Order: sequence, then C-alpha cells, then structure tokens
Amino acid sequence: MKKKGMVVALLVLAVIVTPLFAGGSAEDAAGKKTVTYWSMWNEAEPQGLVMAEAAEAFEEETGIAVEIVFNGREIRKTLQPALDAGETIDIFDEDISRVNSTWGEYLLPLEEYVSKSYPTTGGESYSDAVSTALIDLARQAGGGTLKTAPYQPFAFVVMYNKDHFNKAGITETPKTWTEFENVCAKLVQAGITPITVDDAYMAAFFGYNMARLAGYERTLEMANNNEFNDPAVLEFGKIWSDFAKKGYISKKAASNIYPAGQIEEIAAGKVAMYLNGTWLPNEIKGNAPNFNWGAFAWPEMGPNGNGTEANNYGAQCFGINANSQVPDEAFQFIVYLTTGEWDSKLAKESLGVPMGKNSTWPKQTAEAKTIIDNTTTWMTWAAGMENLADVNAKIKENFSKLILGSLNAEQFYAAMNK
Amino acid sequence: MAKKLRSLDHHTQVRLIPSYVLVVTWVIFTFVLIGWVFFASFSTSQEIFSDSMFKFESGFHFENYIRAWNTQKVSVYFMNSLMYTVVSCTSIILIASPAAYVLSRFKFRGNLSIQSLLASALGIPAIMIVMPLFSLVSRLRLTNNRWLLIFLYIAMNVPFTTFFLLAFFKSLSTTYEEAAYIDGCSPMGTFWRIMFPLVQPGIITVTVFNFITIWNEYFMSMIFANKPKVRPVSVGLFNMIQAMRYTGDWGGMFASVVIVFLPTFLLYIFLSERIIQGVTAGAIKG
Amino acid sequence: MIIIFLTPAMICYLLVFLYPSIRTTIMSFFAVESVSDPISTWSFNGLENYRTLFNTAIFRQSMRNIANIWLVGGIGVMVTALFFAVSLTNGMKFSKFFRSVIYLPNVVSAIAMGTMWINYVYNSSYGLLHDIFATLGMTTLSETLWTGPDKLFWSMLVAYSFGMVGYHMLIFMASIEQIPKDYMEAAQIEGANVFQRFFHITLPFLRGCFRTNIVMWTVFTVAFFVWGQLFSPVNLSNATVAPMNYMYEIVFGSSASTTTVRDSGAGAAVGVIMMIIVIIAFSATNLIVKNDDVEL
Repeated sequence: MKKKGMVVALLVLAVIVTPLFAGGSAEDAAGKKTVTYWSMWNEAEPQGLVMAEAAEAFEEETGIAVEIVFNGREIRKTLQPALDAGETIDIFDEDISRVNSTWGEYLLPLEEYVSKSYPTTGGESYSDAVSTALIDLARQAGGGTLKTAPYQPFAFVVMYNKDHFNKAGITETPKTWTEFENVCAKLVQAGITPITVDDAYMAAFFGYNMARLAGYERTLEMANNNEFNDPAVLEFGKIWSDFAKKGYISKKAASNIYPAGQIEEIAAGKVAMYLNGTWLPNEIKGNAPNFNWGAFAWPEMGPNGNGTEANNYGAQCFGINANSQVPDEAFQFIVYLTTGEWDSKLAKESLGVPMGKNSTWPKQTAEAKTIIDNTTTWMTWAAGMENLADVNAKIKENFSKLILGSLNAEQFYAAMNK
Repeated sequence: MAKKLRSLDHHTQVRLIPSYVLVVTWVIFTFVLIGWVFFASFSTSQEIFSDSMFKFESGFHFENYIRAWNTQKVSVYFMNSLMYTVVSCTSIILIASPAAYVLSRFKFRGNLSIQSLLASALGIPAIMIVMPLFSLVSRLRLTNNRWLLIFLYIAMNVPFTTFFLLAFFKSLSTTYEEAAYIDGCSPMGTFWRIMFPLVQPGIITVTVFNFITIWNEYFMSMIFANKPKVRPVSVGLFNMIQAMRYTGDWGGMFASVVIVFLPTFLLYIFLSERIIQGVTAGAIKG
Repeated sequence: MIIIFLTPAMICYLLVFLYPSIRTTIMSFFAVESVSDPISTWSFNGLENYRTLFNTAIFRQSMRNIANIWLVGGIGVMVTALFFAVSLTNGMKFSKFFRSVIYLPNVVSAIAMGTMWINYVYNSSYGLLHDIFATLGMTTLSETLWTGPDKLFWSMLVAYSFGMVGYHMLIFMASIEQIPKDYMEAAQIEGANVFQRFFHITLPFLRGCFRTNIVMWTVFTVAFFVWGQLFSPVNLSNATVAPMNYMYEIVFGSSASTTTVRDSGAGAAVGVIMMIIVIIAFSATNLIVKNDDVEL
C-alpha cells in the first residue's frame, strides 16, 4: 500500500512540476522574425561559440532573432529527413560538395542576393567583397548557378612539423617521390617517424596515391565501380609494404582509431607528416599549442598519374532552404557572418581563413594557399574512395594489414579485388 | 536466520575463494576503468595521451569542470532528464504491470499472439520506427514537445517491462487469488492490493533498468528533442563529446562525462538499496 | 477487466510499434530513397532490396559479426553472469557491494565506457594492458595493437560484454532470490554440496530466467549499434559493422562521403530481417525452454 501511495505521489509531483519546465516550443514574440539555422558545428567548437555570439549581436542590431540548432556533424544524418518533413529550417551548412550535390534540391539560388550590397560590404556587392575563387568554386559545385555561400575554406595536403624537418636537416619540401623517400629516410635517422594515418583518413590516403599513380579519372572509375584490377593497386601495395618495413609509416597507423593519429602521434610530436585537411591545426591546438606547421602537396609518384596540380580542396558553405519564409533575413545573417567584424573573429578563433577579399591565411596553413592556387585538377573528397561503404571498409582493412605485414603486396592486390 | 548462519560458516568461505578472486579482480578492474576517467577529467589533453597522466605534473585542473559546466547547459539537460525519467518510469509500471498480470494468468484467445507481438516489439530497432514517427510528428508540428518525448519513452519500454514482469507473475502461486476471491475481493482489487505488491522485486529491478535506459537513451531524443531547452543529458553529453573531440579538449570532455555520469551513479547507489530491500522482503514473506 | 488492463499497453504498442513497423515493412518491398518520401513516390520492386543487401559485402560482414557477437559473446556473458549470480547469492560477504559494482558499467553511458576502453585500456603505448604486460616483463605482448585489423572485433566484443555481464547477472539474481528458501535449506540439511544444489535445484528454477536472458541478449545483439560506432567513429569498418550501423548509413546517408546514396527501402529491409531474427529466437526459446509453472 505504501508503495502505491508513493507512486501516486510521485506522479502528482511530476505533473505539478512539469509546467515549470514546459514552454519548450516557444512562440515567437509578436512581429519578430526568426531565422532558424541548423549548424554543422557543435556548441563548444570555436565556430559554434563565435556564431552564438554573432547571433546575439545580430539580433541586437537588426531585431531579427536567430535560432541556432547545433547539430554537430550529425547534421549529415538529420537534415534531410527534417527538410523532407517540412521542419522550419532557413539556413543550413556543411561541406561544399555535400550541400550542393546531396542537398542540392533544397537550395534557394543566391545569384540575386550576392549581387547586392550590404552594410558590411563597404559599398561593393557581396560577391565582389569576398573571395572570388571560393564564389567560383561554389558556383561550379552548384552546376553553374550560385546556390551556396562559402566560408572556411580548406585544402587536403600534407601537413607537417617544421621543427622535425629542421632537426632532420631537411631544407626543401619534396616534390617527387624520390625526394619524398629521401625525406622519410632522413627523418627516420633523426629518430622521427615520417608519416601516419588513422581510420578516418585511410580512404583519402589511398585515393590520393591512386590519383598520383593512375590518374584521377581512373581512380574515380575504380572507386565507383569497386574494381581494383589496376597495376597501380599492386604498385601501392609494394610501395607501402616497403615503407612499412623501413619504418617510414607508423605501425600504429594500422590500429589508430580517429582521432588517435592526429593526437597521439602528430600532436605528441612523434610523427612528422600527415595527409590531412588544413583544419588540422585548429583541431589539435589544444594538444599542441606551439606546433610549427607547414604544408606541401602530395608529391607526384609516376608518369601515369596526376602531379601536384591535382588536389582536393573546398570549403564549408551556407545554403538557404528554398521553402524558407524569411530568405532575405537569412541571407542578411549569412552576410553578417562572412564579412566584416564577425568574419575576422570566426576565422581567428578557429584558425580558419576569412572570406574577406584580400585576407591572408593564418601562418599555420599559409603554404596551403599556394597549393590551391596551383591546382588545376580539382579532386573530390578522398578521390572518390569513400563513395561506396564496401570500398571504404575494404581499404581500411587491407591497408592496415599491409602496414602490419600480414599481407604482402600481391596479397593486398588480391584482397582488394575480392 | 539460516542465511546468516551460512555466511559465517568458515568452510563455506574457503569454498568460495575462487569466487572471491574472480569477483574482486572484476571489481578492481571496474574501479580502475572508472577511476581513470576521473583522473583524466582533472588533466590536460596533453597529459592524457602521454605516460605522465597519473603524475599530475601541472596540478589538478578543476577548470575543466567549470569549462564543461559553463559552455554547456548541463543543469538544464539534467532537470530535463530527471523529469522525463521519473514520469516515464512510473507511467510504464502503471501500464505494463496490469497487462503482464492479465497475460500471465488468464487464458483467452489471442493471449499468446499478444505476447508474441510484444516480444517482437523488442526486436524492432528504434531506427525502424523512428522515421515514420518523425514524419507523422512533424506534420502534426509536435517536434521538440516534452510530452511527445515522454510518450515515446513510455511506449518504447512498455513491451520489455510487460515481458519481464510476465515471468514474475507466472511464478506466483494461484492460492493468493483463490483466497482473495473467497474473501470477496474484486479481480481488479485483487490485482492492485495483493498481486502487484508481491512482484515488488521484479518491479524495482525493471524500474531501475528503465530508468537507466531512458536516462542514457540518445537516439530518439536526438531526433525528437534537439532544441537545448528540451534536450536530455544523453544528447547533451554526446554533443559535448563530439565537440570536444573536434576541439581536442579531452580534459573538458572527461569532465563532462563525469558530470553527467555522477548523478546516475549516485542515484544508482541509492536505488540499489531498494532492490535489495525488495528482494529480502520477498524472501521473508516466502 | 482484461480489456481495461490491456488497453493502455496495446495503444502504446499499436501507435509506436505496429503502425511504424507495418509501414517500414511495406517500405522494404519498394524502392524508396528518403525515409519521409510520400507514398506516391514509392515504386514497387519486390524482393530487390533484399537481394541487393545480400549482394553487398559489408552487409554480409555485418551479419557475420553479429552472429559472432551472439554466440561467442553470449556464451561468455551468460556463463560469467551466472557464475557471479550464484557466487553472490551463496553467502559471500559484501555481496551487496559487489553486486552494485558489477552492474555499474551498465549504468554508465556506453559512450563514456567505450571511450575509456579505447583511450585507456587498449592504448598500445600508454594503456592499461600495455602497462600490465610491461610490468610483467612481457614486452611483445605489451606492444600488441589491440585495435589493429585482426583484433579490433574481439577487443570491441570484450569491451561490450564487460558492460553487459552486470545486467544479466541481475536478472539471474532476481530469479535465484525467488527460489523458495526451504528447498535450499532442506538440501543443505540432507548434505548436498554446492555443485549438487546448483545443478539439481537452482538450474531448473532458472529455466524461465534463461529464456528471458537469451531473448534479451538476442534483442541487444540485433540492436548493436553504439559500440560499432565508437570503435569506428568516422565510417564503417569490416571489423565493427553491425546491421544497425549499416542501416543507419544507408537510410541517413554516409557520414563521410560527400555524395551520399540513400536507400531507405534497403534500410527497411535490414530492419525486417532483424525483426525476423528476434521472432525466431523468441519462438525457439519458447519451445526449448518450456516455461512450466513451478508447483509450490
């Protein structure tokens, strides 16, 4: 009997207490417009923190409320279902390829908006006030029409530790494969492991190598058709099993679970190079605040493939929902974030690159800018090797075994062709 | 009485040495595992991934906790979770126990079918049901509504609870109902006053399970309650960990883990006493 | 009375399980891209989704993985849980304390536990296992790459099973505590030793409990998701993929690739297959472990 009384009491209590917490779905204050922005960032990430501040300042200045839902990278899974179900979402952002191709059908074309000028663009039109290269990239990604507003550009290159290179007596970054091998040999002599990778980036690693060995077109073919009967695959096996034996690639690369590669090996100062994105300094600045960063393009590897002019680069970008009720206000907020004071702040806090026209890249990633400028063949993420789950999983499993030595080059080739 | 005599029996204790060894090793391992998280929450990111974590060369970093608490709205998430869990757990028992009783005692057409249906509900993964529900809920504009979330928590756990209590009800002797019938008690009264209290151990155990399930439930919560105001701790923790993974703030991340896990831990210790009470009470009555 | 008692539970079931399951089952026979596409856009394709699934290497691998989890993990967990349950109810001192601690990992969020295992226990340079083996002087063993390609699955299984033992132990204990004490006392008086008491009294009483545990273990195995995500956080790996992980990828889109190919029809098919497995388990245990009433 006592038990039942307690149960009833608890329920009553809950019912009484609940209204205090109710009001989760607050109504907008009469007359106030609200822009709902689904963000790819997490609340605690530098980008998230700055944007939350910017939203408050924006509301004070313009009276337009901005509600930010910080999805984190889960937005890749939650956005489309929400859009399909008609949830109120005005702005969303993610990687430029993803927003334009995967979510392309939800986008509002922006050509009109970017040709106007705004308070923070100093009299110029938006598209003139920001980086032309990125606007062009966004236009290209949108199939000729500008449908997204880019920000936070990145390049996927070899990020390296300059202090290590100095210690090993390396004076120039390698451009050919022979030079790369020499660099590795010198690093090993100086007691430093040359390069590593972890499970998040193995496919990109493999893809880049394939592009250098067999060309980007062929690499895409292999990736999309799950067919690896190319001599380049065998070549890859030979090179890397050899490198593994010489200690050029860390044994731990076979067992690194993201983000172990970048934190335990790079940030900890044990490994010198990592084929990764220019977001890396921002991601590990907490672990390695005084890292001396440098960047160079993945070297050319053979006559049949592309050279250092083929790279993956891109940006995050904002898209406006075609069904948005407040597109003008939404674009206003986007301008607010990507020009003027908040643009600089966002870039500074996240070691990113401001969108402003003549802005400079932070010193940690400055060398990557030259690589982008010299890129004539744009490669998609991981040169396509992540497009099929089967392929990605196969690469990870077999490459790990290759590094450990449980597979030799021929076995690797056979396993990739199963 | 007999139980006490047994535990003091020296002979029994010696027999139990292998058990002690294994249990104690297991327990020590658990402490080490969880202790490590506590240590990590006071360290810096650099120290965590190096040899020197237990040396605390740079002292205890309490600011990890302050940072975790301030940049995140941990208190809001916590109150949300508390409310969702308490209301859901009580409602689940009120809905599931009558159903379990009826299914265990009465032979009627469809009894076995209903049991199979409920069991199959257990095998239906959340993903299966979430999307049609999400479409429906969005059309009704009920996303981020607390009561919807509570209803989902309840409905998700009713099948398991029913199934669980079924076994307990089945093991009760029919003499109680026969006696109650003779005494003129109505069937419903019999249930609430006699049968229901008799399965206390089961109810307490399953409520603890439900509490923890709902507290740690993150998939449904993420999809149906994404706004910070209604977010429970599980989603909050997941977001914090994700964020800190991208910012490399491992000390802060483990501090968040501790902040979120500590209440469950304390609640658990408190509740586990109730389990024991319920169990020994059952033993005495028997 | 029966109706009144059953109705609330049935309403919950119908709304939250029956309607969505039926809709999803139907979806599994259609080609559907997005999960919230209106029915008008669905196009019937019969068993094609199922055929695609079984032709996908990574899906087949995920089935193999959960088969291993179910069998090997299941045996390990049940034996350990039963051992602990019997030990703790047989007069060990501090049994309450031990019980709480053994169950504790189940209380801690899987995300937190998983992080502890990966970052501390399995770390090949600074981790617990490394330190233990190094202190024991077994240097080669201490340098083992626990998360390497050949060991990743088993490392994950051990970590997962560790957290599950407490749960099943509690179920066993709740059942053991319900065994009437007079049986045990009578047996003791008649001179039966620990093993005889276990095999002739405890075990038969636990039949119903075994059924519960096996079904629950099957349910958990089928729903295996979070641990697979933790051990391969960014994208799917052969060693850690479970059908749920695969389904999450194809219904919501890959978390890494920027050209996602969604196939909700196939995702629905995965769900249906999982559901069938559980139904089989339930029916099978119903037949094998008959839940007879115990005569008191």
